[in-house]
Amino acid sequence: MILTGEGLVVRYPGVAAPALAGVRASLNQGELVSVVGPNGSGKTTLLRALLGTTPLAQGRVELEGRPLAEWRPRELARVLGVVTQREEILFPLTVQETVELGRYAHLGAMGSPGETDRLAVAEALRRADVTPLAGRRTDTLSGGEWQRVRIARALAQNPRALLLDEPTAALDIRHEMEVFELVRRLAEEGIGTLLVTHHLNLAARYADRLLLLDHGVVVAERPPAEVLRPEVVSAVFEWRVAVTSWCDGAPQIVPLKPGE
Amino acid sequence: MASPALSFRLLNAHLQGPGDGRFHLKPVVGLLVALLAACGTRANQSAGSLVAVDDAGDTVRLAQPASRVVSLSPATTELVFAIGAGDRLVGRTRWCDFPEAARAVADVGDGIPPNIESVLARRPDLVLLYRSPQNSDAAERFRAAGAAVLQLDFDHLEDVSRIARLLGPLVGHPAQGDSLATAFDAELARLRLPSDDRGAPTVLLLAWDQPPMAIGAGSFQSEILTLAGGRNVFADITTPSATVSIEAIAARDPSLILVSDSGIPGFARRPEWNVIRAVRERRFVHLATPAFGRPSPRAPALVRELRSLLAERRP
Amino acid sequence: MTAARWPWLLGLTLVALAAGLSLGATRIAPGAVWAGLSDPAAGAAPIIRELRLPRVLLGFLVGGSLAVSGAVLQALVRNPLADPYVLGLSGGATLGAVIAISAGLTSPWAVPFAAFAGAMATLLLVYRLSLVAGRRLDSHVLLLAGVVVSAFTMALVTAILMLVDATRLQNSFRWMLGGLWSASWITVRMFAVYGIVPLGVLLLNGRSLDLLALGEEQARHLGSDPERVKRVAYLATGFLTAVAVATSGAIGFVGLLVPHAIRRIWGPLHTALLPSVFLAGGGFLVLADALARSIAPPVELPVGVVTALVGVPLFAILLKRRLA
Repeated sequence: MILTGEGLVVRYPGVAAPALAGVRASLNQGELVSVVGPNGSGKTTLLRALLGTTPLAQGRVELEGRPLAEWRPRELARVLGVVTQREEILFPLTVQETVELGRYAHLGAMGSPGETDRLAVAEALRRADVTPLAGRRTDTLSGGEWQRVRIARALAQNPRALLLDEPTAALDIRHEMEVFELVRRLAEEGIGTLLVTHHLNLAARYADRLLLLDHGVVVAERPPAEVLRPEVVSAVFEWRVAVTSWCDGAPQIVPLKPGE
Repeated sequence: MASPALSFRLLNAHLQGPGDGRFHLKPVVGLLVALLAACGTRANQSAGSLVAVDDAGDTVRLAQPASRVVSLSPATTELVFAIGAGDRLVGRTRWCDFPEAARAVADVGDGIPPNIESVLARRPDLVLLYRSPQNSDAAERFRAAGAAVLQLDFDHLEDVSRIARLLGPLVGHPAQGDSLATAFDAELARLRLPSDDRGAPTVLLLAWDQPPMAIGAGSFQSEILTLAGGRNVFADITTPSATVSIEAIAARDPSLILVSDSGIPGFARRPEWNVIRAVRERRFVHLATPAFGRPSPRAPALVRELRSLLAERRP
Repeated sequence: MTAARWPWLLGLTLVALAAGLSLGATRIAPGAVWAGLSDPAAGAAPIIRELRLPRVLLGFLVGGSLAVSGAVLQALVRNPLADPYVLGLSGGATLGAVIAISAGLTSPWAVPFAAFAGAMATLLLVYRLSLVAGRRLDSHVLLLAGVVVSAFTMALVTAILMLVDATRLQNSFRWMLGGLWSASWITVRMFAVYGIVPLGVLLLNGRSLDLLALGEEQARHLGSDPERVKRVAYLATGFLTAVAVATSGAIGFVGLLVPHAIRRIWGPLHTALLPSVFLAGGGFLVLADALARSIAPPVELPVGVVTALVGVPLFAILLKRRLA
């Protein structure tokens, strides 16, 4: 287990019901876990809780056996790579410069980049398939390209685990598939990835496990075929759905029209 | 008809005589001509109606001399007292400190811009304003409340006699206004020296030190200096004052620096100011009277005082 | 491919220094400038050594520091419109200076130190106001607190001056307009002593600022400690700006425009950006000051007017080029 969270409870001030009401989540090396659930179920909150960005009312998080609070920021960044939902560009850099910033965890504020760093950056660019974009300014990239660049930056940290929050929101089919393919490849290379998404069907085909959340509680945490059953999905998402099966065995959700 | 300024110059030319105290016919004739000329101009006294045109070009009409006057600049306050109409003053600014009797008059606040309410609370029938863009709105408000308003450009020595003559009839003291003006002009003319005195010391008139601000030829202080026999080292600045660099002062090397406070001025302790020879050698002239702050009937006395101070310092 | 920056910037610095020493109320030829520098007995020596040299040095240090502070603050509050005065310091410095001037303090150290003390007091006040929940420096609150404290101190200044005489009122506001007329070896020394450390701190924290510019969350995920970086950046720029304003009043436009110009030409990475804006800002202010002294001798224009009149069209040209 790389990253584990036990009994996580998060409350937002002024809101009666907790955003997370005792959640258990874990991520192992080499696996792709997808966190799914309706809007407001606590998916992003779970991610932020696992990262320590949001304070916990109760529970604890451990990374590689040590409590999260004991990790210093640079140490943490050498193990965990994070790509959040949105990132606004204030002063545009080139793709190369952007990915190089990922080496901060290893270099610190004043270290000079050496051969290891140059190789790591080149490798990160290659794995995220953005090497041809290296000289481009980030404000000239498409949505999908920018997402892949951010993933490359996270890869430059040489992490053992990646946490991604809705990396494919607002991407078209091609770009979405590219991201999922990338993430699957990374999992096979040994990097554990926790991916929050609302795209159930792709999650079903790529993830090893699904963590289904509803109102801050884990409804199920099993391989996709066991989680995505019509009665479960209809209840949690409050809409009637049918479940079919794709040729690779993955369940595919089809939301039903009122008459069907 | 000749303007008062022109009269002044006429008078000046006529009285440019030996100044030896003897009675000369020519100056008297000149005086009469000038008086007649001046009388014919701005303030006309016909039975029951006083008319005047102020420096903004507006005409003021009074059925009889004003009895409740508010003066909104120290220069006009002093002048009103000087022509004997101090008892008609019902309001003055907080900066009006001369003569002593002025302090007994009600304080209505600032002059630029004035506090409309406090001025109107004094129920004036005549308001004397310093002419400036900030005061044009106030002038309107005073007029709307029924007071006569005079906006005056009171910046030069020649304005003392001009405005004395203008105000005299309006405050019921036409004769005093005229005689003060005449006496003032005469005194200044007597004090006037031949224009190319090569022995005249160059003087820096310093208004402020942070940043350094010099008084230029466009101001009455510079006029007083010239009458006293000094040469303004920044005579090429035509505005009343301007920010100058220390280096410009050092390059012009004034032989004296005129300051208003007594003792060694604060800036003299700063190293960058000591590049100026007059600062290094502590060649300061102190003229500590507030009369130097405004054009006033006391100017001739100031000129004499400054003249003797300058003469003391001549090498 | 953009031109190599260091030759250009060093060239600009040299031209600015030469112009600053040569131009002024009187033009001094380069030969005489050199004579003045090397030989204490030369004719132009007092003006060169005691007036122009300290002035040029102070101008360079102040211009460079304002540019560096502006660049850092733009990253700190994540707002391209930020400049050193968003911290609310100039009001505090003016307050200190006005109190010293009104009190008639005559020591040459009095006004700069009083201004510095005023600036530091407002810095700490704004810092305290920005500590939401006692721990975090919130950038939005920081901006707001700076504006509010600035308005407050300026109101205090106006009130004080209203009670003192009218000429002092006008003249003390001129102090605030900013200018290098107080330059002397005393003020240069003061700047060197107090400004070196914060300047050094900022120059060394370039990469941390790159991360902070991405956003606090991103910075944390990449391994930085944004709270620490914000604190250091805020206090260092505050200190540096306080020294600049204490010696020369609030000179505008340098801190806002120079960082943008340099970013447009050579990119925003702070490790190279900060030294570049230092040289560019310093050179720019020295040139502007030389112009302010020599355009209408013997009258000296406020240098803030020249920086605006010259800087804004230059910046417009730069903007146009980039978009073309």
